Amino acid sequence: MPLENTKQSAAEALRQTRTFGKVRCHNPSCMGRIQPEPGARLVKCPTCGMEYRLYWVSPTLPRIRGPVWDVNREIAEKTFAEKQAVTKPTAGKMKGK
Amino acid sequence: MPLDRKIAHINLTTGDIDVKSIPLNVRKQFIGGRGLDAYLLYNYARKGVDPLGPENPLIISAGLLTATCASATARTHVMAKSPLTGLLGSTNMGGFFAPELAWAGFHHLVITGKADKPVYLFIHNGNIEIRDASGLWGKTTTDTQWAVREELGDDEVKSLVIGPAGENLVRFANVMTGIKNSGGRTGMGCVMGAKNLKAVAARGTLDIKIAHPMDALEYNKRFIDQITSAKVNQTQGTLGTPFIWGATNCWGGLRTRNFQYNQLEYADDIEPERLDEIATETIGPHHMTGCFACQVHCRAQYKIPSGPYAGKYDEGPEYTSLGAFGAEPGCTSAETVLTGNHLVNQFGMDNLETGSMIAWAMELYEEGILTEKHTDGLDLRFGNDAVLLEMVERICYRKGWLGDTLADGGIPAAEKIGKNSFDYLIQVKGMNNLHSDERATPALALNIATASRGSDHLRSRPAIDLYHLPEGVLRKIYGTPIPYDGPLSSEHTSYEGKAWMVFWQENCYMAVDCLGICKYHTTFLGATLPNFEDWPKVIYYNTGLEFTPEELWTVAERCNMIERMYNIREGLSRNDLKKGDTLNHRYFDEPCKRGAPDVIGMCIDREQFEKMLDEFYDYKGLDKNGKPKAATLKRLGLDREPSRLL
Amino acid sequence: METSGKVLTIDHEKCTGCRLCELVCAVKHDGVSNPMRSRIRVMKWEAEGLYIPMSCQQCEDAPCLKACPVKAISRNASFERVEIDYDLCIGCRTCVSVCPFGAMSFNPVEKKVFKCDLCDGDPQCVRFCEVKAVDYVDAADVSLKKKKAAAHRISVAGKEAASLHAAL
Ligand code: SF4
Ligand code: SF4
Ligand SMILES: [Zn+2]
Repeated sequence: MPLENTKQSAAEALRQTRTFGKVRCHNPSCMGRIQPEPGARLVKCPTCGMEYRLYWVSPTLPRIRGPVWDVNREIAEKTFAEKQAVTKPTAGKMKGK
Repeated sequence: MPLDRKIAHINLTTGDIDVKSIPLNVRKQFIGGRGLDAYLLYNYARKGVDPLGPENPLIISAGLLTATCASATARTHVMAKSPLTGLLGSTNMGGFFAPELAWAGFHHLVITGKADKPVYLFIHNGNIEIRDASGLWGKTTTDTQWAVREELGDDEVKSLVIGPAGENLVRFANVMTGIKNSGGRTGMGCVMGAKNLKAVAARGTLDIKIAHPMDALEYNKRFIDQITSAKVNQTQGTLGTPFIWGATNCWGGLRTRNFQYNQLEYADDIEPERLDEIATETIGPHHMTGCFACQVHCRAQYKIPSGPYAGKYDEGPEYTSLGAFGAEPGCTSAETVLTGNHLVNQFGMDNLETGSMIAWAMELYEEGILTEKHTDGLDLRFGNDAVLLEMVERICYRKGWLGDTLADGGIPAAEKIGKNSFDYLIQVKGMNNLHSDERATPALALNIATASRGSDHLRSRPAIDLYHLPEGVLRKIYGTPIPYDGPLSSEHTSYEGKAWMVFWQENCYMAVDCLGICKYHTTFLGATLPNFEDWPKVIYYNTGLEFTPEELWTVAERCNMIERMYNIREGLSRNDLKKGDTLNHRYFDEPCKRGAPDVIGMCIDREQFEKMLDEFYDYKGLDKNGKPKAATLKRLGLDREPSRLL
Repeated sequence: METSGKVLTIDHEKCTGCRLCELVCAVKHDGVSNPMRSRIRVMKWEAEGLYIPMSCQQCEDAPCLKACPVKAISRNASFERVEIDYDLCIGCRTCVSVCPFGAMSFNPVEKKVFKCDLCDGDPQCVRFCEVKAVDYVDAADVSLKKKKAAAHRISVAGKEAASLHAAL
């Protein structure tokens, strides 16, 4: 019977690696850790420059609420036009661009 | 004291009821819940059976751990041949029904036949009674439940019911319990409707024995700490599943306007934080509720703040209602989402399928494939909130040509509408996709393409692929309990090792579904949640059954394989657009237009997708066409099915 | 240190209705899962989302204690609880009928009345209820949290009234 009750499972061991007070950038290829000022409402990712609205689930648990829409749309349209001009990319081929 | 639990075979045509014990060797092979249901379906559904005919077995179950001293074991599983897809019908729901069924003395019900008038079942402390439901027919899901309680004179009765949608044989009708706990996928409510079965009511005061009660109690505390300390569950417990929707929308991972776009812009009014405000204003600061014995409490309560249904109480909305009444039809009003959510809950209709069908029709209308003639004058444009809600009602009651057509589900509707309408239908195996966009995430795309019940995120989605966890962490998770040393990429746009992640998740989710545990309590949205290594303890303390993590993995593989065998028997083949493991052409041909810069321009590479699918088949022990190899069936002990052991 | 003893408090607004308390109570006392055996029961009005856990109040002037014809019920000062002596209990269920809260229950299998015993000072319902809808607090502080919450409401109302007044 595999009942070593004191032994930690992989999932339990991973608990120690968590961080508090930070969010991960929602730009999927960035995913940089951002540490906002406690209670801040806006934050800018120091790695990729995206700007987000923040919400605090608890005083130590911030969460990205959403992007700033006007800026978001502008960037999206510009990026799409640029990328279409170059090539028709696919998920895999995007790697290491 | 060995586990002695019961299964009842109930024939609604003859009224025969046959109660048996579930033998331990069957438990060892299929555990319970969804796994054992799949075994029963494979054994008792004749090949090619009419989903709406009396022979289609409707299987209702509680998990192995349901009602034991383990956390969040509330799940009810329902299976039958699907009237929506013609393949595996399978749906899973929380609430309080499954534990009540267990205390009433049963863990599995197999219901065949068809009653000649509306009936409901009353299951009470080992007895099963077929009762007249003529007075219940036509009632909404909640009215039905309260009426059953009134009739039985017992407020503690928990019922699994259908609403008007199930009665009207809408192909994606729900089975429901409580205010909004829904078994929504694959139209199991339609099967109930076809059997004239309005409800299954349960009430029990029988003991569920706990093998090692004090150990179970102590371990449960540790298990719960593990679950509630996860950040993802703390957020779930505050904002509910809308938080996933909000996060996904932020980077452009949502399917919007029937998959023309991948982000619902200017959605502030339906962002989770706004919904939380509405719940706080209409209910109060403590507006989260949950399923049986669960400490995550991810479900919000609310009252509709304005509009024709102002003041109505409901629960949710979940991710899918935000998709169905927000992202997909291109609406950004909280009133619309909360009203739409209320309507589908009352009607007993799958929100995901409903929203997707309407959004599909909206695109067809804007493309001129559907005209005002088809819509009986409705201006079915995207973003038309009033028409969206009107269509929900038309589908439920099959009103007008379009309401009736859409109620038949995607593929039959496309056949009826004709032209190239099928090309616009974002489905897999006849079921609409979740309102998420998988073009930037090959692992997630493989998941929906191969999910056993048709496009689905709760069958094998490696959601943590999006977290860019270090490779070492990924290896720790995906390398247990079965060693894996192939490639494994932290990059969500990569195709490397993703087939293994999907295969691992498929087994993980099968195991929780067999145990009856909710998926927020395993490796789904959080990397630190319990899985194969943790479950043997919780199983042993509660039931006395001994499994190693490796054995649990094999059981999960076996159960997944029997689902696969069922689908193959009903005609699944790899490249069939209607019954296969493949995706709508938009996944491959149309790049993402919105969201974070790195998502823009993404789509799935056909060649690499096929390669990933080959790998996935290989891990599962399937041949190139997706059929199980003889050696695989032998290894899993499935070479002599159907075996009809219970 | 002198303590005034602890009491079980219930704040039904916080209750999520999960019934984990019922489950762990039955497992702790009877070693089985069965809400019928639980000392705490959650009463529900699902149509409006109202959940109210009910348990023994350990009354100072306990009707059950007074009504028991064989004096099987007594007050245990060390645990601040009202308890049943099963050697004396004759199973007449008088206490069940006089308890104003329905907190005295009857187990039809073992033919015994039963009620909350505060788990001898470590109530499992409290231990497992993450949202603290059931709590075990010092008797002297029993209404302190309520006072504070009410005071906050008054101050918010006061501010609103002031701003309304200013707007006039
Ligand atoms: S454990 Fe807490 S939240 Fe759950 S039902 Fe009991 S009192 Fe309510
Ligand atoms: S059982 Fe009822 S009467 Fe007796 S002490 Fe408890 S609440 Fe009071
Ligand atoms: Zn960034």
